[in-house]
Amino acid sequence: MSNSHLFLPSGFIRTPLQNGLGRYIPQLQRITIKFCKSHGGSRGVRDFIESDLMEFAKTNPGTVVYLKPRRHRSPCMVAEYLNGEREYLSCHEFSRDEVYKWLSYMCTRSGIPVMRFRKYQHTDYPTIQGVWNPFTHQAPEINVAEFPHEVLSKPINHGPTATEQLIEIFKKTQLEDPANKPPN
Amino acid sequence: MSATKRVQQWSTFSRMWYLYDAQWQDPFHSAKILSPYLTGQNKPIYHPLNDCGDHVVVINSREIALRGDEWKKRVYFHHTGYPRGASWTLAWELHQKDPKMIMRKAVYKAIASNLIRRTCMERLHIYPGSEIPEEIKSNLSGQIRPIMPVPKRLQEYSKEEIDNYPKVFDFPNDYVLR
Repeated sequence: MSNSHLFLPSGFIRTPLQNGLGRYIPQLQRITIKFCKSHGGSRGVRDFIESDLMEFAKTNPGTVVYLKPRRHRSPCMVAEYLNGEREYLSCHEFSRDEVYKWLSYMCTRSGIPVMRFRKYQHTDYPTIQGVWNPFTHQAPEINVAEFPHEVLSKPINHGPTATEQLIEIFKKTQLEDPANKPPN
Repeated sequence: MSATKRVQQWSTFSRMWYLYDAQWQDPFHSAKILSPYLTGQNKPIYHPLNDCGDHVVVINSREIALRGDEWKKRVYFHHTGYPRGASWTLAWELHQKDPKMIMRKAVYKAIASNLIRRTCMERLHIYPGSEIPEEIKSNLSGQIRPIMPVPKRLQEYSKEEIDNYPKVFDFPNDYVLR
């Protein structure tokens, strides 16, 4: 995130009404292209209108295309989406290909405002096994235990110590041969 | 947020109260064990911006055990800020003045130096003896296991146990023990 993006709204990735799963609804409702018939800044837009616009309108029957000739004004396009969002783009001195590129960009957008993604993935079901809490994977006896607890007050038992093993061996020898028993 | 989600949030971020018995434990080694609990680094929900540390109640801090001759050799430095305000206190002197101080300083040193270090230290409760106030004892919900086993003293063995303890040899009756 750079300084120029400090005031960019942030959010999580989402899609309108599970668009694209099973069916696709184009989200671009209408597009208005304003241009001038005489000025040079609108030349690419005029070229686009002459050669490509009809084909675009035919391939996108869900989108309404408005053309507004405006005398001596810089050209622009305004896209309006199904969710009510409206996007303005200045097309001043755009070439024909650039106009086509930006129009297809407007057409394929969902209308959700451009934002900084907090995460690049999203799920509606974050967990199946349940959310962690301090008592998960804990022995249930802890819930009713009195502290200090008798077992937990001792360190983890790593088996008998050398002293304990020696005492065990000693006891075994006593059982085998009572003559080894020391006189008390 | 629905009622179940709300309760789930509370349970996930609830703070535990752990008991730690410092009887005959090395305070510096113990501090390494305790610091993840205080900062919340033992939890899967840990994040540096997420304030999820637990409370730790340390009892018997008077009975801590330092290694070797550290009681005599370890020095705590303090400076009042005024000229000639420096002072050096040996560990045994400091422990006599305040039996909680060595434990507290050890834990403070074990927690990473950052802005929430003091907040984490606020959740450390040290008691020199084994008595805890009732309002803190009622909060306890877990216990941290000590590191070192507490050996049994000779006075704690009964006469019978001492007599039956395996011996390699017996001293002769006329042997003078010094």
